[in-house]
Amino acid sequence: MSQTPAAAYTRQEMMAIATGREIRDGELAIFGVGLSMLAGYFAQAHHAPNVRAMTEGGVYGSTPVGGLPWGIECNRISTNATSFTSGLDALGCLVGSGRCDVGIIGAAQVDKYGNVNTTGIWDGALGDYYRAPKTRLTGAGGANDIACGAKRYLIMVAHEPKRFVEKVTYISSPGYLEGGNARARYGFAGGGPSAIITTLGVLRPDPDSKEFALDAWFAFSGVAEIVANTGWPLKVSPKAHVVAEPTAEELAQLRAVDATGALRRR
Amino acid sequence: MPAPKLVALSDAVRSYTWDGMQYASGAALPIGSDALVFGRELLRQQRKNLHAIFHCNSQQLNLLAGAGAVVKAECGFTGLEVFGFANGLRRAVESGELVLEDYSNLAMPLRLLGGALNWPFVPATVNIGSDLQDRSAFAPEEFPARSKIATVTDPFSGRQIGAFRPLKPDLAAIHVTLADPFGNSIMLGTEWSRFELSRAAKRVVIIADAIVDTACMRQFPNLVRIPEIVVEAVVYWPLAAWPQSSPGMYDVDEEHMRVMNKALATREGTSDYVRDFVERYTNVDGYLDMIGRDRVAELGRTATAFLLDPYRRWIMPAAEVTRMARKTPR
Repeated sequence: MSQTPAAAYTRQEMMAIATGREIRDGELAIFGVGLSMLAGYFAQAHHAPNVRAMTEGGVYGSTPVGGLPWGIECNRISTNATSFTSGLDALGCLVGSGRCDVGIIGAAQVDKYGNVNTTGIWDGALGDYYRAPKTRLTGAGGANDIACGAKRYLIMVAHEPKRFVEKVTYISSPGYLEGGNARARYGFAGGGPSAIITTLGVLRPDPDSKEFALDAWFAFSGVAEIVANTGWPLKVSPKAHVVAEPTAEELAQLRAVDATGALRRR
Repeated sequence: MPAPKLVALSDAVRSYTWDGMQYASGAALPIGSDALVFGRELLRQQRKNLHAIFHCNSQQLNLLAGAGAVVKAECGFTGLEVFGFANGLRRAVESGELVLEDYSNLAMPLRLLGGALNWPFVPATVNIGSDLQDRSAFAPEEFPARSKIATVTDPFSGRQIGAFRPLKPDLAAIHVTLADPFGNSIMLGTEWSRFELSRAAKRVVIIADAIVDTACMRQFPNLVRIPEIVVEAVVYWPLAAWPQSSPGMYDVDEEHMRVMNKALATREGTSDYVRDFVERYTNVDGYLDMIGRDRVAELGRTATAFLLDPYRRWIMPAAEVTRMARKTPR
């Protein structure tokens, strides 16, 4: 990261690059469809050539061709695969089992313990009686399985107050639940979310309470803006710092993966 | 030698489906391989009150839900991946017309595997500890719900884990790339949960993009993940997953994915869609005309076409397949 920062990039591109930097070479990794896939395959192209990437459909050994795949089984991710198996294999044998090192998931809402809601938006709290949401979202998908089984996972989400809530109405994918060692009650194979990477910065969990605090901001954002866009009183880590801007090399690699410019439009 | 099981799509739907049944399909991903054309035929024959079992939502469930044919559904992912929210399903859920029980994408194949193996339950190490367990749309009064994903004790460790309820749908309509006239099937691309579904369902109808001679299966028996012994009937229907994709065969029709999803956002749009894209054709030729022959050719020029190369020599001409089709299913 000693190279000259690239001149112009979008917030989404910074989020994808910051997420990709969390992926280490050689890891067994699972990327969800959409922006998380771009972040993951960027990491593979840029600094983690030996990452063992999979999609939850059981597509192995492939990289996107022709831009952001429309989905996990899209032809754009099927043109250079070395193995096609199944959801049971990818999400079960490799993720739910606890073998997967790292996953990347998205969120409609996330709370201070990293619990993710992708199921729905309700009018007010859900009481003891379940009712259909006012706005139905896409459901848990494979994210719940990644959240339960991956050794660690990253949450990518646009940093807006409506998305950063004190407590999500519905937990689609478990973070640290009520905090502390609450996950231990369920014996999950996976360790929980290691970072929330947003369009403004990076949040990481306190080692004991598991409450997420501000760890880093981007060159174009700052502590005040991030706190103002977080729906709970966000703690700021004493070690909080600015994230290095994308290098020209990083941006070039990201844009090669994001051939259709999904991260530049949004 | 078994008898050929090729039947017309309309006959398959007439013979193997009924109102209120537990209907499974969509066993590949939301934009990929799915027996969409079977769902169109369900609407043409006005099937209703369906209980849908879909590993993930697809345009098929989106259409069936949007048109009011589904009253209950059990699903993992319920969107359309990069194409966004599934508007038909969403409208049906938000209005209360359809009750949707949520699971994860691993829970659904595990439940199908449990059905396939005739297990009493499947141990759950995912979905527990979240609202996928604690909230049940089918039992809304329960909180925390335990009739959906129960809690059991692991007899070896003494630890509390979850228990999934196995699935045994009345019928699975499964889309495959290639089938022989008996139902031996090869899927190009990820099989997602079509293996488990083909063993869990009480009956299986295969919908194939192309029919191949059985010699193809003898050349690649390891790739025949759905053998004819679990198959009731085979329907030949090219571009059966349209506007979704079928690796090796055709790409996703991006424009129609959007047009369709936009139409399904409203009741009026859905009626127009059913008129224009569900009721408009009477046979395969009419269906391909409806899509547009230029579009059909364009979608077939997929970068994955090479995946089909080893199998091409066994693909049977459409006329021969039609001749082999039985007039009435068994």
